[in-house]
Amino acid sequence: MVSYFLRRLFSVAVILFFVSFLTFVIFFQLSPDPAVMICGKTCTPERIEQIREQLGVNQPFLTQFFTFLGGIFAGRSYGAGEAAIHCAAPCLGFSFQTSQSVMDMIVSRLPVSITIAAGAAVLWLLIGVSAGLISAIKSGTWWDKGAMMFALGGISLPNYFIALVLQYVLVVQLQILPFPSTPDFAEDPLFWFQSYIMPWSVLAFGYASMYARLTRANVLDTLGENFMRTARAKGLPPLLVLRRHALRPSLTPIVTLFGMDFAGLLGGALITETVFGLNGVGKLAADSIGKNDQPVIMGVTLMAALFVVVANVVVDLLYAFLDPRVRIKA
Amino acid sequence: MKTRNLVLGVVLAASLALTACGGGTKGDGGDGADSDVPQKGGTLSVLLNADYSHLDPAMGFDGGVNNFYRLIYRTLTTNSTESGKTSEMVPDLATDLGTPSDGGKTWTFTLKDGLKFEDGTPITSKEVKFGVSRVFDPAQGIGSPYAKTLLDDGSGYQGPYIDKGKDFAAISTPDEKTVVFHLNQPYADFASVVGQNSFVPFPLGTGGGTAFDAKPIASGPYKVESYNRGSELTLIRNTNWSESTDAVRLAYPDSFEFTFGLDGATIDERMLADQSGDKNAISGGSLQPANVSRVQTPQIQDRAVKTTAVCTTYMGLNTTKENLSDPRVRQAINYAVDKSSLLTAAGGSQLATVANTIMVPSLLGRKDFNLYPSTDNKGDVEKAKALLAEAGLPDGFEMVIDTRGQPKMTALSEGIQQALAKVGIKVTLNVIDSSTFYEVIGTRSQQHDAAITGWCPDWASGATFLPPLFDGANIADKGNSNLAQIDDPAVNQQIKDIAAMTDVDAANAAYGELDEKIMELAPVVPLLYENGLQLTGSNIGESITGFNGGIDLVTVGLVKPGK
Repeated sequence: MVSYFLRRLFSVAVILFFVSFLTFVIFFQLSPDPAVMICGKTCTPERIEQIREQLGVNQPFLTQFFTFLGGIFAGRSYGAGEAAIHCAAPCLGFSFQTSQSVMDMIVSRLPVSITIAAGAAVLWLLIGVSAGLISAIKSGTWWDKGAMMFALGGISLPNYFIALVLQYVLVVQLQILPFPSTPDFAEDPLFWFQSYIMPWSVLAFGYASMYARLTRANVLDTLGENFMRTARAKGLPPLLVLRRHALRPSLTPIVTLFGMDFAGLLGGALITETVFGLNGVGKLAADSIGKNDQPVIMGVTLMAALFVVVANVVVDLLYAFLDPRVRIKA
Repeated sequence: MKTRNLVLGVVLAASLALTACGGGTKGDGGDGADSDVPQKGGTLSVLLNADYSHLDPAMGFDGGVNNFYRLIYRTLTTNSTESGKTSEMVPDLATDLGTPSDGGKTWTFTLKDGLKFEDGTPITSKEVKFGVSRVFDPAQGIGSPYAKTLLDDGSGYQGPYIDKGKDFAAISTPDEKTVVFHLNQPYADFASVVGQNSFVPFPLGTGGGTAFDAKPIASGPYKVESYNRGSELTLIRNTNWSESTDAVRLAYPDSFEFTFGLDGATIDERMLADQSGDKNAISGGSLQPANVSRVQTPQIQDRAVKTTAVCTTYMGLNTTKENLSDPRVRQAINYAVDKSSLLTAAGGSQLATVANTIMVPSLLGRKDFNLYPSTDNKGDVEKAKALLAEAGLPDGFEMVIDTRGQPKMTALSEGIQQALAKVGIKVTLNVIDSSTFYEVIGTRSQQHDAAITGWCPDWASGATFLPPLFDGANIADKGNSNLAQIDDPAVNQQIKDIAAMTDVDAANAAYGELDEKIMELAPVVPLLYENGLQLTGSNIGESITGFNGGIDLVTVGLVKPGK
């Protein structure tokens, strides 16, 4: 088990190395010179060179890449002498646009993304898994058809469309919710809830639909297994059969999926955050891409990748805990 | 002066409802003459798509941030807030617009009495000198370049943080009230230069690194209370700002709350809905073209402010390309473009007007002319064809236009593409992502036949408009703003001659004449002057549209502050 865990950790490091290398190549090497953008109008070639030097983009590619990696583990300094600015580890550099520390920018936006992801996750798990379960038990009935139609809608309607419709109906027309913002929970819990309920619902709708379909399929498969027949033959009450024997094996694949989806969202719900104007990590990514702010794009991508690969490891470990068959193989 | 502004505002409220001159104040909704007069107090919200580039005035340099800076900073001179005179410079920290000597190479300013920073320390000539010296720091001086250009004494001075203890000889401070600038060349319009953001004073030794981006030190009527970068910014009154020293800033609200990161469509919806807190809000940017048609009811029309156009949208024609090196071909393109269709593409007459000159109407000394007229601005196909035939291209030719991957710019370029097809010019559009557009078109080796872009002046004179775009000396391999790459000896000489003029008004008028002379060579096609349509909440009073475009934040306030 320990060697399994270590192997997984090693693969995490390898994946992150490649992600950072690829992102670096794409955003630093293949995109145009950031110095010219910063230089703005009434720019001179001397100023461009000066800015290139300050940003460190005049260095050879590999030097830049390894300095960047080194910064993550040991920190780094920008500039020299009196004007040098030290960036403590884990250093993701400074924004080309605002000169802020990329790490600070991401950390300050994380609470919003976590709030959005966690609230949406609660909603989609509750709604998705329950709907899937009911559909499976009452397979073929109007319940089932209704729930699956709803799920089809959730999968096929894009996020931004649902977001704009909800906003128009609930905020502009009926005026029962405020325009979403990111208030503090402690200051006004009701306003906090009202502000986040739409983003949660929009995200949850799409995910719940997938989860409902997956849960339904898994439960139906499990219900057809031999051990279910045995359980029923033993005379166990139907609800107990469902809870003890059907639910657990059906839910293991859901756990895997959930881990990955939730981790992905921590890296930012790009569309939802942008449409509702919520300043989370996703909005930061969208804004940075719009401004070609390479260090921030790089930082957000790495952070998102880190969340997903770590979630992957956690899910695998959890999986082993939930499903004894996996434990034996491991 | 303030009382006069107020009275002027009220009078204008009534008159502007009848005229469409875009003077910048709200129309009178018919609720009575006093219903739009702002009062002192309350909190005014500003809804914005993007955060300001920098709170450090040495670094920020665009219309939006220039407007914001006046809330927290003061400069030696600044643009007037008197309606109809916002292009003019008036004294701010200084008692007058400065006294030139030595043929315009030395400029002396005297500071007013009773000037203080937010912490109560006095603003003297030393603090002004320190503020200006900051822009020589290579990391900080990325904003307005004029102080650096004119005050560079050749000593290689790198600002007060790197060159600690070294005196910056280009500015002398004989006493607490007197600042003397020693320029490296005569400059007649230096009174406009000292109104730039690079002339904001700061207490000695402050503001290293990015300190002012996080927490500026105010000299204006407001100071920063809290700032969450990219999300929100709150300003409260700077109690050490003295109204009696400031004839420009009306500073009505007790506080400002800026919300950043809102989607443009969401801002429009909120402003159109005018619900509870948004009654005290203004949109920081212009209404999106798609929503212009929704400004129909008198209530919403009353809340819409048409702001002055500050920039010219134009198409630069690369004169180094074979076909475009012939002025007749460039003139033919000027005739062929159907500007009325471009006007529609940009959101109609509410959001733009057709441009025939390079300089925007708000510039002093600008001459109004149209060298390539056509009926209803629809383009003159016959004249264009005749010119092309004269140039030996009767069957037209093929050209590539660089354009920005953004809906409005794409619509504009498609309009040009269709118009040029009528005269046999087959246009291929090279759509470049917004994030890298300026970098690509400013790199000579990557430039195609033409590029559609815009230019905005730094103050109300052709001085910051024509030289950067048409002086042959400004052609650079990277960061090139002379997109036409025109290097005409007569134009170059005239730019030099105007720069040497000592009479500012005469120089401005000369730029107006030069505009026409340049247009005879047709290195560009002026397309549109784009203005904004800003929505305000129903509790927002009269305001002035500033020179930087948009509602001037130092003139806006709430009608009922307690609401």
